[in-house]
Amino acid sequence: MKKLLNDPHAYVEEMLAGLVAAHPDVYRLHGETGRVIARADPKRPGKVGIVSGGGSGHLPVFTGYVGTGLIDACAIGDVFASPSVEQMVDAIRAADAGAGVLRLYGNYGGDVMNFDMAGDLVEIEDDIAATTVLLADDVASAPPGEAEKRRGVAGMVYAFKIAGAKAEEGGDLETVTALAQRTADACRSIGAALGPCTVPQAGKPTFEIEDDEMEMGMGIHGEPGVWRGRLRSADEVASEMMDKLLEDMPLGRGERASVLVNSLGATPLEELYILYRVVSKRLMEAGVEIVMPLVGRYATSMEMTGVSFTLCKLDDEMERLLKAPCNCAFWRV
Amino acid sequence: MRVLAGLRGMTGMIDRPALQEAIAALSSAMDGEAAALNAADAKLGDGDLGVTMQRGMRLVSQTADELPDDLGRALMMCAQAFTRSSGSSFGTLLATGLMAMAKELKGRESAGPAEISHLVGAARDSMAARGKSAVGGKTVLDTLDAVARATEGLRDAGSIAEAAVAAADKALDDYRDKPATTGRARIFAERSIGLDDPGMLAMTKVVHVLAGVAK
Repeated sequence: MKKLLNDPHAYVEEMLAGLVAAHPDVYRLHGETGRVIARADPKRPGKVGIVSGGGSGHLPVFTGYVGTGLIDACAIGDVFASPSVEQMVDAIRAADAGAGVLRLYGNYGGDVMNFDMAGDLVEIEDDIAATTVLLADDVASAPPGEAEKRRGVAGMVYAFKIAGAKAEEGGDLETVTALAQRTADACRSIGAALGPCTVPQAGKPTFEIEDDEMEMGMGIHGEPGVWRGRLRSADEVASEMMDKLLEDMPLGRGERASVLVNSLGATPLEELYILYRVVSKRLMEAGVEIVMPLVGRYATSMEMTGVSFTLCKLDDEMERLLKAPCNCAFWRV
Repeated sequence: MRVLAGLRGMTGMIDRPALQEAIAALSSAMDGEAAALNAADAKLGDGDLGVTMQRGMRLVSQTADELPDDLGRALMMCAQAFTRSSGSSFGTLLATGLMAMAKELKGRESAGPAEISHLVGAARDSMAARGKSAVGGKTVLDTLDAVARATEGLRDAGSIAEAAVAAADKALDDYRDKPATTGRARIFAERSIGLDDPGMLAMTKVVHVLAGVAK
């Protein structure tokens, strides 16, 4: 393992300490578990809270998107591991401003179980109404017929942004939840991996792959994908990824969508822009209007080499909220 | 499951002292089993199951002296201790099962051995709902289901302990050569054939320890 760290067991705590030290105007540590980040600005009574959570190792997801017009609090687990129920309870309490809390996170068994139980506990102990919207946007993780089994990946960035903007402008819990669900339903993602990453506490790579190989559809924790084979050209890879997304969610002439071309960590911006040529060409050929394309590191898997594409089909309200102001250390609109 | 331990001596009543005895026995047993459980889990998951059980039971033992006589509240405290230990989904499942039993025993200071089957069944059902899975998928639910069925209708502590151990062992044997269809191990369905499910293995250890306390 070749990483800049001190003690692998202190990895998350030290990361959070640095994050808060660098951006004290955006983030603060909340509660006794040391694993909850909340917005630094004071709570606005009556605003719907949005809370997320999941394993570390995906910055800016999840923690980084705590901020104005985005999410209010986040529970942070060890690298690639679910936060504990107690940490999620703390995060829900941190996000609550008296109007209820939306739990908005990715569809992973451990996270779902823990967030469900945390919701049960705050309903009993604090009388906080809590709703749930799960991101399940990874088309490679299950066929359309079993879409509820799909894993949540970078589509969550759109859900944070659109639901966060709605909560910021005063939407009630039902409205914010419905909009988050609409966004989750309108997102499709797919990833391709060229090289693994190493979880500090494990000390070895999440998967093995030859120098000349790639894996299409691989999950962000190294979950098996659609095929593994010889590394192909950027244009071939981008075309296949767009095929898979548009097959799952056809977009017709005159429709609008935002697209996220995302680095899983090690893949440089240069290569993302090489890929984006194909993405924009394909969408333009289909007559789809591209709104606010995002190219960069929005949802990573540590130093994994690879890329993911996310399409988010937009309606008028979603487009307006996507373009509404937001502020966190990683994204300003 | 922990309630099984409450079967003490001839009376086999479940009460606060019985619960404390069970916690002590489980905590020391999990210290001894941690490495083996981690190794079993590493073949199909992230290899932290032994740590989850060990840490969870340590936190439960720290609350043992403060447990109230009300079995419902006592088991609720045990459940919460488990949720503090880690984000492991197995820990959360166990806490869910304990909470289900806590609900059944709310306001009561003792329970009889004949209630064990019902309590284990309640834990199984709530864990199935929480985990969105069902009996038959080669998970901890199958061990609980086997124990609940085998102890149904039995009233004597000794025969309940015996039946529970036999049922848990048999479930482990019956499922060993089947593929996992739920839980994390399903990603490795093929590889899981011939291997014990780590969660079933952990629960079988728990049943053995509790039966030992009961006898």
